[in-house]
Amino acid sequence: MGFGQFLAAPEYDLKIITYRDIFQNTALESSRGGEEYLNRSAVIKIDVNDMKKMGFKEKSNVILKNSFARVVVSVQLSEYEEAHEGIAYMTNSPWSNALVSADDGTGVPKFKMITATISDAKDEKITTYDI
Amino acid sequence: MEQEYYVCTGCALLCDDIEIEVTDNKLSKVNNACLKGVARLKECAKPAECKVDGSNVNIDDAIKEASSILKNAPNPLIFGMGNSTTGAQKKAIELAKRTNAYIDDTSSFCQGPVIEAILGDRIRTCTLDEVKDYADVIVYWGADPSNSHPRHLSKYTYFPRGKERQRGWEEDRTAICIDVRKSDTAIICGDKFYQIPPQADEELIDALVSALSGKVPKVSFGMGPKKILELANLLKKAKFGVVCVGLGLIYSLSDIEPLVKLMNKLNDVSNFHLIPMVGQFNMRGFDHNLHEETGYINRARFQESGVEHGPQCSIVELLRTKNVDAALVIGSDPMSSLPGSIAKELLDIPVITIDPCMTMTSKKAKVAIASVTSGAECGGTAIRMDGVEVEFKPMIPTDSLSDEEILSRIMEAL
Amino acid sequence: MTNALEIYQLLPKTNCKQCGKATCMAFGAALLSREVTIDDCPPLKEDKFRENYEKLSQMITPSGEASESGMIVHTEKCIGCGNCVVACPVNVAEDPYGAGSGKAPTNENVILRVEDGVVRLSNVNQCRRFGKNKIMCNGCIVTCPTKAIEFV
Repeated sequence: MGFGQFLAAPEYDLKIITYRDIFQNTALESSRGGEEYLNRSAVIKIDVNDMKKMGFKEKSNVILKNSFARVVVSVQLSEYEEAHEGIAYMTNSPWSNALVSADDGTGVPKFKMITATISDAKDEKITTYDI
Repeated sequence: MEQEYYVCTGCALLCDDIEIEVTDNKLSKVNNACLKGVARLKECAKPAECKVDGSNVNIDDAIKEASSILKNAPNPLIFGMGNSTTGAQKKAIELAKRTNAYIDDTSSFCQGPVIEAILGDRIRTCTLDEVKDYADVIVYWGADPSNSHPRHLSKYTYFPRGKERQRGWEEDRTAICIDVRKSDTAIICGDKFYQIPPQADEELIDALVSALSGKVPKVSFGMGPKKILELANLLKKAKFGVVCVGLGLIYSLSDIEPLVKLMNKLNDVSNFHLIPMVGQFNMRGFDHNLHEETGYINRARFQESGVEHGPQCSIVELLRTKNVDAALVIGSDPMSSLPGSIAKELLDIPVITIDPCMTMTSKKAKVAIASVTSGAECGGTAIRMDGVEVEFKPMIPTDSLSDEEILSRIMEAL
Repeated sequence: MTNALEIYQLLPKTNCKQCGKATCMAFGAALLSREVTIDDCPPLKEDKFRENYEKLSQMITPSGEASESGMIVHTEKCIGCGNCVVACPVNVAEDPYGAGSGKAPTNENVILRVEDGVVRLSNVNQCRRFGKNKIMCNGCIVTCPTKAIEFV
């Protein structure tokens, strides 16, 4: 039993930008709620340097947390060529939407400006939604 | 034999050259449409069923229950309609009038401000057919059509030959992409990709307006004056330019004014048009229809005294402030598309869904009514993203009711 | 779908130059583009390569038109956008008012079309990369947003 489990996993700040992905969108139309939709949605893509700095393993689970929600998703390396440290990408889905703020009275949620912390989820499973 | 073409209702591009193969009254093949269109037109993985409180019922009972909810709710909301025909949308507006309901659609939190500015003649627009025939400079700003509207570049903007664009894309057209990330569309634009930091769109707009006015442009992020002047010159030299505006740009502006200012400036020095990258196939149609009826494109409430309009009538604010006591959701899935903190309010009120597929919202709904996929199983008309009306016929026969027929039946039962 | 490396694996790998090519890899590429035939490699006809000879015959003859010009479509990456259909110079020449104008192809002479959401090849012998006097056209590659098309 390691000593590490008594320590809270370190948290890092991230800005999350949501984007559209045709394969995820197609999975929504053709297999709503299916495994493929989950595998393409419950994912955060982060920069290669962030991955090193934060010490996550590719496709391990991480906790994303802010004042609106706490969700567990899979962390993956972004295919993006240029560095984008501190900025992460997620497709539009219930997992990203859980973290979106909508309380400024304008009626327009901040879909493309999410701030959250990211930390190792250890053994915790990916958040599921009844889709 | 003359080839028969159909219209794809996968998105607001409404591609009108679709060929189909039908086996046993089902679509076995959908040709010329993109992956997304094919997925939408073919049968859903989980087709909707008529349910009340989670138990299967026949459609008559579901309709009866729906109308009784709407009749008894003092402050109902009708939401969605972006995937419905114009005929169904008009019925929904009529139903909102009959029940003194709030009515709103997804434009409320996406392309609404741009469509409003176009309908109010504040922004110059053009049709996609004109883009194909004349456009030499195409700008995608905060938009990634390769993922959202896959045939946008091939059918209209960049790759096709048009009347005055006969020499092909390499010689005749320039496609520019401005975005916070190097999207699939940005890759196609090659060295005409201008990357900006999140929320820096307004700053770049100001810099471009300066550059177009002959001043030295400046921004606080790492894009030098030379790069901005190069972009400004491309825009200035356009014979026929179009800016295709995506949600990336809209979400980063607090209001539409910077965009109006840019378009005005572009038209002082050049010839520019704007087209909103509308998502759902007939969202723009709903905005036109409600505008015709009330002068507003969305966020309206019908009352004895007249029509109320404003952010307080938006779905997000209505749910956040708990000011609605029932919701009728048509062809939309707010449980999955709204922020979680807002969507959860739907669990506290009776919700009615009308949808061809089972959705996160229909699963939680008090009443779920199964309808048909517009464009596949029923015909009608819709407004394309550029404002052009497109008529379409059904591809396959069905015994089920369309959104329009269901809404008529709900009204009869009121 | 066949690629040059798979072919190379089945060749003698001796770079004996009897075929007129500098290396077996070059011969493999030439085989793929139908510039040469399997019988142009004398050692392949030896008994010890009989199995390889048979495998190559299956790979190179009619099986899959797709490989004849060396074009591979990764259908799992294709989004059916049709950029290649509209940009392909052969499609434009054969069907200027259909495929070349962004619309559904209107005849059978086109080499690229979208079926059921993904691109499908036909008449690949019309591809500019086909055969002896090929041109290194890349119209379908540079216009593909998802790198779903490649030539081997």
